[in-house]
Amino acid sequence: MSRKYWKGLEELNETPEFIANRDQEFSQDVSVDEFLSDEKLSESSTPRRDFLKFLGFSVAAATIAACEAPVTKAIPYVNKPVDVTPGVATWYASTYYDGNSYANILVKTREGRPIYIKGNKDFGFTNGGANPQIIASVLSLYNEARLQYAFKDGQGIATADADSEIMAELEKIKAKNGKVVLLSNTLASPSSYKAVNELRNSITGGATTTEEGEEVASTSGAQFEHIQYDSVSYAGIRKANELSFGEAVIPDYDFSKAKTIVSFGADFLSTWLLATQYAGQYAEKRNPDGKWVSKHYQIESNMSITGSSADVRLMIKPSEEAGILAALVKELGGSTNGVSASIPDTVGAENVKRIAKDLKKGNGLVVSGSNNVGIQVLVNKVNALTNAYQTTINLNNPVNLFASEDDKMMAFVKDLTQGKGPDAVIFYGVNPVYSAPNGAALAEALAKTTLTVSLASVMDETATHCKYVVPDHHALEAWNDFSPKANEYALAQPTIRPLYDTVAAQESFLVWAGKAKREGKDSKVFHNYIKENWSAKEFAGSTNFDTFWNTTIHNSVFSKNAVAPSAKEFNDAAIASTAKHLPKGGDLEVVLYQKAGIGRGDQAANPWLQELPDPITKVTWDNYITMNPTVMIEQGYNEHIDQEHGCTLASITVGDVTYELPVYPSPGQAPGTVGLALGYGRGEGGANIGKAAFQTKEYGGNVLDANGNPKPIGANAFKMIQTASGVMEYTAAAIIENKKTKYPIATTQIHRTVMARNSIVRETTLDTYINHSKDAYNPDWTLQKIDENGNHVQAPLAEFNLWDDHPVENVGHRWGMTIDLNACFGCGSCLVACQSENNVPVVGKDEVRRGREMHWLRIDRYYSSDDEATVGTRKDKDNFTYKELEKAAVNPKVIHQPMMCHHCNHAPCETVCPVTATTHSNEGLNQMVYNRCIGTRYCANNCPYKVRRFNWFNYPSYKKFGEVNPAQDDLGRMVLNPDVTVRTRGVMEKCSFCVQRIQDGKLTAKKEQRPVADGDINTACGDACPANAIIVGDWNDPNSKIRKSADHKRSYQALEEIGMKPNMWYKVKVRNEENADLAKVQIEDKKATSSHL
Amino acid sequence: MFNKGNKGLFAFILTLFMLTTYVSNAQEGESIFNSKCATCHSPHKDMTGPKLFEVRQKWEEGGALEGSLHQWVKNWQVAAANDPYAKEASNWSPSAMTTFADLNDEQIESIFDYIDAQPVPGAGGDAAAAGGGVAVATNVEENDLGWIWYILGAVFLVIIFSVGGVKRQLEELDEDNEKQIKVGSKAWIFKNRKYVGMGVLVIVIAATTWLFLGLNQIGVVTGYQPSQPIAFPHDIHAGINGIDCKYCHNSANKSKTAGLPTTNLCMNCHKQIQGAGDQVEKIKNIYKSAGFSPEGGGTYSGETENIVWNKVHNLPDHVYFNHSQHVEIGGIDCKQCHGDMTKQNDVARVVPIEELNKIEGNIQLTKETLTMGWCIECHGVKEVSSGPLEGKGGYYDEIHKRLLENDESLYEQYLEDGKVTVDELGGWECAKCHY
Repeated sequence: MSRKYWKGLEELNETPEFIANRDQEFSQDVSVDEFLSDEKLSESSTPRRDFLKFLGFSVAAATIAACEAPVTKAIPYVNKPVDVTPGVATWYASTYYDGNSYANILVKTREGRPIYIKGNKDFGFTNGGANPQIIASVLSLYNEARLQYAFKDGQGIATADADSEIMAELEKIKAKNGKVVLLSNTLASPSSYKAVNELRNSITGGATTTEEGEEVASTSGAQFEHIQYDSVSYAGIRKANELSFGEAVIPDYDFSKAKTIVSFGADFLSTWLLATQYAGQYAEKRNPDGKWVSKHYQIESNMSITGSSADVRLMIKPSEEAGILAALVKELGGSTNGVSASIPDTVGAENVKRIAKDLKKGNGLVVSGSNNVGIQVLVNKVNALTNAYQTTINLNNPVNLFASEDDKMMAFVKDLTQGKGPDAVIFYGVNPVYSAPNGAALAEALAKTTLTVSLASVMDETATHCKYVVPDHHALEAWNDFSPKANEYALAQPTIRPLYDTVAAQESFLVWAGKAKREGKDSKVFHNYIKENWSAKEFAGSTNFDTFWNTTIHNSVFSKNAVAPSAKEFNDAAIASTAKHLPKGGDLEVVLYQKAGIGRGDQAANPWLQELPDPITKVTWDNYITMNPTVMIEQGYNEHIDQEHGCTLASITVGDVTYELPVYPSPGQAPGTVGLALGYGRGEGGANIGKAAFQTKEYGGNVLDANGNPKPIGANAFKMIQTASGVMEYTAAAIIENKKTKYPIATTQIHRTVMARNSIVRETTLDTYINHSKDAYNPDWTLQKIDENGNHVQAPLAEFNLWDDHPVENVGHRWGMTIDLNACFGCGSCLVACQSENNVPVVGKDEVRRGREMHWLRIDRYYSSDDEATVGTRKDKDNFTYKELEKAAVNPKVIHQPMMCHHCNHAPCETVCPVTATTHSNEGLNQMVYNRCIGTRYCANNCPYKVRRFNWFNYPSYKKFGEVNPAQDDLGRMVLNPDVTVRTRGVMEKCSFCVQRIQDGKLTAKKEQRPVADGDINTACGDACPANAIIVGDWNDPNSKIRKSADHKRSYQALEEIGMKPNMWYKVKVRNEENADLAKVQIEDKKATSSHL
Repeated sequence: MFNKGNKGLFAFILTLFMLTTYVSNAQEGESIFNSKCATCHSPHKDMTGPKLFEVRQKWEEGGALEGSLHQWVKNWQVAAANDPYAKEASNWSPSAMTTFADLNDEQIESIFDYIDAQPVPGAGGDAAAAGGGVAVATNVEENDLGWIWYILGAVFLVIIFSVGGVKRQLEELDEDNEKQIKVGSKAWIFKNRKYVGMGVLVIVIAATTWLFLGLNQIGVVTGYQPSQPIAFPHDIHAGINGIDCKYCHNSANKSKTAGLPTTNLCMNCHKQIQGAGDQVEKIKNIYKSAGFSPEGGGTYSGETENIVWNKVHNLPDHVYFNHSQHVEIGGIDCKQCHGDMTKQNDVARVVPIEELNKIEGNIQLTKETLTMGWCIECHGVKEVSSGPLEGKGGYYDEIHKRLLENDESLYEQYLEDGKVTVDELGGWECAKCHY
């Protein structure tokens, strides 16, 4: 018996369609069928002879036309900017904050255009962490739907005119003692708060400037209210801390100190709070070679990214969370103050005991993704009982982000819809018509409000209902400052001159307050304002402010000494007071969650993010209901998803909101729950937020709805948010009904399977790793040979060699890469970074369905189960029952494996190319020469890793990709990396190991007259990895990091046994779990593992 | 000793020598003036330094001591100390003049000769120059594809004539054969099938060869010289004035592109050098770009305009070429690929390989300029350094060490021809230039 790894249920279950598709590198069934069944085709009147004539003519015409060399213009600057050298990248340190994700970043610009973003590994507490949304945000800068100037009632207007009209209206409101509301996301920006206060003072007549949150004593009767509202709120944590400890804060969590992590549905590696920081901290302590390894329990409903990395993952319904927490409190010897402890069967009392035992060891950390105050109070209680507030949780150094005032927001919407609302509303960084549960009513009420202003940079759902739109810069065009945590400050600096006549939002506040004048495109108003503010305030730490300022811009951050955590007194009354609002159960509960790519939907028009396969489900371009496959079988949903068999549609109802969405199988989804992602359904009602946000037709163009508006992708789950307990809650009781109709879905999980070569991933338990030899968890391969006596003997792999070696090892360079499967948690940052760096085209849903996605790097997500027999050894195939399948698919383990070209030294692709378009370099790279390639696709068919991609179309010009591929419009093209060729139709392409970066790194070393050192060369994926799982370098340098990593006892090569000698290594995943089955396989039956092929 | 013929030859050579000396003396003044004086002086205009037209006369009339002017040029402070007139002259401007101790009296005289020979502007000067700052177009068209139409035309003509010829012959045959044997054209071809077959074969081979040779020329850009908005004379800048290539193309040693000079860089010199004669109008193109008006000491209006050049050396998008790799690391001189720009009286052109090969010090290549064959031919002969890889700094030392320590046989294979060339270190590999 051996462990089986499988990507989808189709593979686990070996459906006939799966087997048929598995054997074809390029599946063509769908395309041919659909092409032939196209009615237009049969109506076509072009006979074959005409076609041939046209063909002949076109070939001749193209030949003649191709002779013409285009005249290229070369336009030098008039005045060369100091920091721009054409052809050389300029990097700027900046800060990313979109109201949800925060990171210190580095922005790469070429000739003044930002083309690439990565985390800043040198400065800032996020330590180089980033997520797909941050990396992809550079493309949103070039969204062609961005507003180019100010608007009034949907018509363009000069900013100056808009200003004077808005100011006149504000004067009128002031005169009649009216009320102005500024609705923004959490700004967390000291200077922005100051600018808002200037506006406040100009309206209320208040003379003193106060910190945010304090009401200013007004001298006039007019009122001004600044409400901060985040579409995904963490207000529950603040409220709970206020009740528990008297401080309405979000504490500073330190996952690098946590020896036991218990997470109740908190996706802290991907979307929960400061995930960009937590992911790095977490990865640091998952290294089995470190001093200690954290133990991670995840108790959740949806299979989340964080849950997929957990040592122990347990499934619950959201309503069961309180009971388990209460049981945990009891187990730890605390009082539950009336909340009854109950442990569902899926968790089991023994697991609660184990968790309590681990937490008692100290350095525990319990977190919950729930926004329910009662739940968070119970979490606080558990943390207080385990003394976490002295170690892993710091209440003294609180987080300033996520300060959503849900109650104020709800009151505001209520007032407005009841006609009692303010006279003027200004929206900044928020889109409540889309993201508030009662957005439609809000939209209606806005029409009746005297003055409505939006500062949005696209005509979004809210802006379309506002009288004035004064568009803000894109974040990459603007100055800003932040204070993400107490004692932490950060600057964002512009990396490009504003593309359009947009104005900084804060400048608008100052102008409307009468404190500043517009200065046009190159305005320095807000820059000077920040600088003045910093020099006047406590930032003036050093004697020379200019030096301090320049250093801070260079680093983008400035930190003061943080206050150490200290013990806090927990107020037990908090539990009782919130108990009545604990989540109510239901037969079926829906959990609303954020996807790694789409998140809150801010960047729904970003095609990179839409096409990013979801880390767990591997679905692109769609919104769906996730359900456990065993439940799906019971209820008659189709659980085998491939190109022919779409998903079954179901209607899901929460309150009075009903959507019809496909149901997608997600092993690990708690039975009795379904998951639904937020952030979809953007652009409803004709809001133009960008072409890629909408459904596209098969041959280009957006699908239109009955009103002629483009149809959004998916449904808006924000409408299902519950607000009963004074905060936004993301779980609810739901009703689901099987609609029995099919819906095609584009998923990549069935593409490019491993053909049952289970040796591609290796995992073990911490116990086996520490106490047993390499043979147990990472055995060397042996193959059978006949020795001189004619006996069959096992010999090490090194004795077998199919071909002569390339002179790569120890001579010159040998570029290598290791990927630590233990650190990788599948976030998808590497995939987006690769797409950004290598000009990888976006192909859209229809093409992904045909298995033609172009990503050079994919992340294979394998489910694994211990009880499944190896393929071919399944005991009784004919009498197979779903019971067997159930066991495997209910709550499987998950491994994420980034997979790209392995640059084999014995590359099978090279030998089959008839035109030597793919060759081997003496540095170990498998080179792809696009101009030689004639597109036979032999190479892709011969690649055991299935990492080669074929250009089926001219993605930069064919109309089918007009909506999705950014290279199709002049603006989107600006994101292309000028050092990498844009490939044309009919050629193969694949990961190049970022050869442009390798060449650049070598050149740097040559210029500095020194050998290539660690850090000179990194690939885009390695650069982007928040967990530092990817190490790249020169294997021939015996002191390099990569060499040490590749020689490590955990390192193995995927499919090493078939002898391709790749230049890539993976490192065995080590789970901190007790797993008797796996231990048995690895220790007692190890012969079985090493001999089967 | 000399016979008559030899004497004649000797006289001829002598005359020639003297003649060239004379000519070079006359030219010397101009070249020295341009390289040493023109930054601050103009014949007819006060600039940083005063105008110099007939300055010898002026000094003489003003009562300067003899030789004082020459002394001034060599070191003005010495002259000012010895001659009251010179002292007074030093008050003209607070800026100190550079000393030119290396100039001899003859050279100084040649400078003044040159200055005095410059015509007074407006007084019968270059009338054409008043025409306004019109862009100067050069003669070669950038899209010269006319040849294809000529070829096509020629093919059609050949077909028409040969068909016509065959027809006429047939008719003649018809008449000759007294109508006894009715011959259709097919029958005639059949009868003479040997000759016709041979003929067709020859035609087909010729046409194929011709087509093949023609296709081989497609994309070959030798001699390409597009029209340009400004007639920039490289010979004056790089030749006479000896400005280093990298002063203007200043990213050649740090970037993949060599860089075109930005207008502000032109203005470093041309704020002072406003030109004489027909140069004045040409230089105005730069002023237009910079938004500069030279009158009254020079002011910038802030209204700038980009100069739109037509790119000369165009590589296809799928080729990655890095100037700094070649200039900084490879130590390749600009003239290896761009030819002798000190003699190019225009912007630039793709210099034919024959011309490049004539330049002293250039590696001799056979393939056409800017073709891939040309690139890899050079990579095949250019040594990474003379002899073994030593002495090229840390990077190559490390590569050398790895070769010596780990695979000496490979190293010996490299050294079979006594040198390590670029291709032996991977310079012929696809992904070195294509990615």
